[in-house]
Amino acid sequence: MIIIPDCSVRSRPHSRTVLVTVAATALAAGCLLAALCLGQPSVGPAAALAAVTDPEHPLRVAVVEVRLPRALLGLVAGAGLGVAGLLLQDALRNPIAGPELLGVSSGATVVVAAIVVLGLGVPLALQPWLALGGALLAGALVLLAIGRTRDPAHVVLVGAAMSAACGGLVVAVVGLGTQGNVVVLFRYLLGSLAARGWPHLETVAPIVGAGLAGAWLLRRRIEALTLGDEVAAGLGVPVVRTRVAAVGLAALLAAAVAAACGPIAFVALLAPHLARRATGTTSTRRVLPLVAVAGGLLLVAADLAARRLLYPVEMPVGIATTLVGVPALLLLRRRRQPRPAVTG
Amino acid sequence: MTPSARAVAVVAGGLLAGLALVLAHLLTGRSDLPAGEVVRALVGRSEHPAYEVIVLDYRLPRVLVGLGAGALLAVSGVLVQAVVRNPLAEPATTGVGAGAALAVTGTLVLWPGHPLVYPAALLGALATGAVLYVVGRRSFAVAGVLLGAVLAAVTSLLLVVDSAPIGVVLRWLVGSLNARTPVDWAQLWPWLVVVLPVAWLLASRLNVWALGEPAAIGLGLRAGPFLAVVLLVAVAAAAAAIAAAGAVAFVGLVAPHVGRLLVGADHRLLVPVSAVLGAVLLSLADLAAFSVSVQLPGLATDVSGVPVGAVTALLGAPVLISLVRRESRR
Repeated sequence: MIIIPDCSVRSRPHSRTVLVTVAATALAAGCLLAALCLGQPSVGPAAALAAVTDPEHPLRVAVVEVRLPRALLGLVAGAGLGVAGLLLQDALRNPIAGPELLGVSSGATVVVAAIVVLGLGVPLALQPWLALGGALLAGALVLLAIGRTRDPAHVVLVGAAMSAACGGLVVAVVGLGTQGNVVVLFRYLLGSLAARGWPHLETVAPIVGAGLAGAWLLRRRIEALTLGDEVAAGLGVPVVRTRVAAVGLAALLAAAVAAACGPIAFVALLAPHLARRATGTTSTRRVLPLVAVAGGLLLVAADLAARRLLYPVEMPVGIATTLVGVPALLLLRRRRQPRPAVTG
Repeated sequence: MTPSARAVAVVAGGLLAGLALVLAHLLTGRSDLPAGEVVRALVGRSEHPAYEVIVLDYRLPRVLVGLGAGALLAVSGVLVQAVVRNPLAEPATTGVGAGAALAVTGTLVLWPGHPLVYPAALLGALATGAVLYVVGRRSFAVAGVLLGAVLAAVTSLLLVVDSAPIGVVLRWLVGSLNARTPVDWAQLWPWLVVVLPVAWLLASRLNVWALGEPAAIGLGLRAGPFLAVVLLVAVAAAAAAIAAAGAVAFVGLVAPHVGRLLVGADHRLLVPVSAVLGAVLLSLADLAAFSVSVQLPGLATDVSGVPVGAVTALLGAPVLISLVRRESRR
């Protein structure tokens, strides 16, 4: 095991991280409970908990078969996305890296859209792995393109071009289908947690769990990467292997989520920034648990808002996360960096 | 061969190719017209009124709009890449396509079937460009992509509330030249006449700007007004093209790239060469999209009438990869 000294740039007492993590966990639990209570019909927390424990409860189906898997999927998917964002941002030392801007999500979407629209009849359990193929391919191309540069503009441009290519492919795939498929396709271009049940959760949860475990094992090495390649190599960390592993894990997490929920943007970008801001540390291993919790919290809360705000119309959660995520990201980034003189 | 001689050769060759494309477009279509009839219909001497409608109202506008939109997208790409100083930028980077789509969607949701679509797209794209100039001074690339994401999300939200215009809007997002009419061409050509010369007039200043901001300012370029003008021209070109043909991807990325390979980075040559290349590229892709008709296993009907944007995306991906390779080697 490599021992790395505490290398947080702005080190604060560890207790703050613990405190914030506990508070975020409590908030996430509260959101989970709210997700069980609200809906048609809305019930109190006691009734919702009774429905979970009592198999004969009249609300059993609504709460346990519809609301519970959806909320849990939101937690799991959000945690996976948040950690994917953290892995990419720290391993690539790029504050704006995230699966949605690296083309990883759109690569997965192409595969999912092809499976859905062409009716290929691939079993649900296999879909995340096929989506992973698309995600890894798109992500590898983008990473190849980015090379050694850390200029956020360059990263964003390559990712945008890859997303455009994938978007064109998705539309080409849909063009192959019948006219009625257009609406179906549209649904797959938006991330959503609607109509997801236990099978989706059972598919995604093990992959996300494995991804989180991998990130936990790699946390010290990735933290070393944030200090720069030379320093990391000096500390005995295999730089290239660690980076490849981190990106692969991030692609796995993003692909699993995209296979079940479609492309949900900006949770992965936002969760690490929020976690770093809340704890005041940039240490990968310290913020890792909080990032997972924050991602889940963000997604469940966004889904709750997406369900209720325009009721009876339900907004796909991907829209809500984009509308909230972009301004939040701009705000978070604006305060951190001084304004450079050069445009580009 | 010097770059300028090569540029003349490319432009001449491109014009010839454009002429060949016009002929090819006029001769291909759903109905099989003999070449003689096509020529007679062109000069208005056909004995069959239906042939005149097919040639003059369907086929001719389609190829002309394709050529014009391709040229505008390519020039817009040159300008955007110059502003951002990154050869991977393209008109879509500015978010104007998303802005146009949002305006079109809003119009269709509020007034279904209303013929306001063209002005809506144009105004939406131009307004997005204005917003970008205000908010994006720090990094046009990042701001443009994020702006595009937000606009796309609002578009999706509108479509979730009212899903009737999905088909139309998706075709906008991808770009399609199907069913263009003489009206589309009439709305497009004035932009060509205005934007292309202005872009060419900006070329020598773009060369100065390419030296870097401090050097450009030292040489007497006023950065603020200059950027505003270039961005305005770039957005106007993209807006006109997108309003006519939809947000076709990669033409604005690939045409300047190929142009740079052929004549180098001098914008005085790059602007006209890219315009010609973009026109040929889009029209050629459209010919391919129009002619493709394949039977795939598992599908009931033949695949045909694919939007041209899907073809450019398919062709654009490998080009993107090669571009990226070159970039990473540097």
